[in-house]
Amino acid sequence: MTVETHHPAPREFDVRPILRSGGEPFQAIMEAVNGLRPGQALRLLAPFRPQPLFKVMEGRGFSHETQEMQGGDWEVLFTPKAAGAPVEVSADADNPDSWPDPIENLDLTELDPPEPMVRILAAAERLQPGEVLFALLSREPIFLFPELSKRGHQWAGNFDETRTTFRIFVRVGDKG
Amino acid sequence: MPGATLSPWTMSYFAAACLFLIAGESAMVGGYGYPFAAVEAPATLALVHVVAIGWLGLLMTGALLQFVPVLVAAPLRAGRLALPALALLIPGLLLLVGGFTALGGAQGVSTAMLPSGALLLAMGFGLAIIMLAATLLTVRPLPLPARFVAVGLGALIAAVLVGGAFTLVLSGTVTNYAAIALLLKGVPLHAALGLAGWLTFSAIGVSYRLLPMFMLAPDDTRPTNRAVLWTGAAALAIVVAGIVSIAVDSDGMEEAGSVAALLAVFAALLYSADVLRLFRERRRKIVELNIRASYAAFAALFASVVMFALPATRAAAGEGAAALVYLFVFGWLTGLGLAQLYKIVPFLTWLECYGPVLGRTAVPSIQDLVEDKRASLWFFVYYLAVIAATFSLFAECPGAFRVATLAQLCATVGLMVELVRARTLSSVAAPLRLPAGASRPHLFLPISRPQE
Repeated sequence: MTVETHHPAPREFDVRPILRSGGEPFQAIMEAVNGLRPGQALRLLAPFRPQPLFKVMEGRGFSHETQEMQGGDWEVLFTPKAAGAPVEVSADADNPDSWPDPIENLDLTELDPPEPMVRILAAAERLQPGEVLFALLSREPIFLFPELSKRGHQWAGNFDETRTTFRIFVRVGDKG
Repeated sequence: MPGATLSPWTMSYFAAACLFLIAGESAMVGGYGYPFAAVEAPATLALVHVVAIGWLGLLMTGALLQFVPVLVAAPLRAGRLALPALALLIPGLLLLVGGFTALGGAQGVSTAMLPSGALLLAMGFGLAIIMLAATLLTVRPLPLPARFVAVGLGALIAAVLVGGAFTLVLSGTVTNYAAIALLLKGVPLHAALGLAGWLTFSAIGVSYRLLPMFMLAPDDTRPTNRAVLWTGAAALAIVVAGIVSIAVDSDGMEEAGSVAALLAVFAALLYSADVLRLFRERRRKIVELNIRASYAAFAALFASVVMFALPATRAAAGEGAAALVYLFVFGWLTGLGLAQLYKIVPFLTWLECYGPVLGRTAVPSIQDLVEDKRASLWFFVYYLAVIAATFSLFAECPGAFRVATLAQLCATVGLMVELVRARTLSSVAAPLRLPAGASRPHLFLPISRPQE
């Protein structure tokens, strides 16, 4: 079994264009956070020091480091605390860090079991070999794992820091 | 790799268990065993073991083979022992029952069947314990629900050893004083180890994991969960100490029984509070039939334990508090077992049959495999019959007991028919029943599709 010991590179998210156009970036930031790989950090670029966000991210299990950039903008690095559940991966998952960004994101947290399992397997059918999908679930999908493996898909996932949401990446295999 | 696959022989355990339940209930309807014979009469012993080992023991073993991997999120170890274990347990039980009937003077059987049956049972449960304990040992720290199962397995070992010692005395193989003293005084303790230790502890552990799963309730460990574990385990430790003190012929454990009962009441109170909290905090608003039927079983657990601890109700419950043992076995353990079978069998069948085509083609929902309306009527009749049978034992009215157990048997058979219909996909509308690529499940044998 491959277990990743190093963390993937931080994901960068620039909220300055959203703010410039008069938009509300909070939802977009949360989506970016949900899309993070297990263990992945988020580098946020903002025109001010986003104080209110620190508390929110603290609650999601992220610590932060701030740095003022030239021109008065701020760079904040949100790093997941080590307390996050360990990442589980399928036996054949070769280096999930190198997987491409997911092309399908599913929020299945409101669905009753076994519907999340059906949705993920159906989504995997739609994707091409090598493509990745990402899903949020309210339970660890223990009966889904063997079914993914049987179909030749690879997966990596874990609970978020609050242990209420399970995040899973599935890379569609050739046999799929 | 994490994840749980289908346990191939679980359905075979369930099928055998259901047959033993029907056999046991039929025997009661036929006037066999207590209250038509004494509590310690061979007929009662035969009946009790058909229900406790044949129905509840096989049911729990089959369920744990499937759900211990779910509790610890690790695959079952040594799963190839599942079939040999079943192949030892069934003849072991039949020999044991044959031995009991020999004690009652039946022809064509011999009391020598008692220790040989016990040996096969010990070997069968031994294999099951190897599989389950090896699976539990792969995970550190052990999640709390799995700890209940671990304690339950410890109690199973103790119950099997004590029961084995009984068979040696009953068959005349051993005439040593300690063993005879154990048989004379230790029967209630043997029953406590089996029914309260092994079966109840394991059921509580699995319920702490499965109830939040089915109801989408928070499954974080609460201090009350731990308190249930520790008070319950302390009660069991007193029971074990009592057995040891009988065997070494020391006094002083006489008072300890009431302490153990008090601890058990405390554990039952805390557990009841826990299951009520799970129900209140559930995110799934629909309450499925298996959950409603499970809560009826929790009520029976609570009622039987509290009445057992109260001297007045305990004294009124007949020889050996038989009415309360009946409520505990058929209201709590059997009620919960039937309720969970009603959820587990359709789910496992659905996964076994439609797993290969999920996401590729339209498949029925799990709910389509069963007919809730009919089944809820059967559950209603079942619990009503158990209450009536319990009252008839309190009232020492064997005629009413037979009528009540007949109703109970009918409801049980009704539920079994629902389970068979789920296995055979009979309730599923024909166009959806077997899409291309789906594998038709066998009634109780595994499909020979490679299991990972």
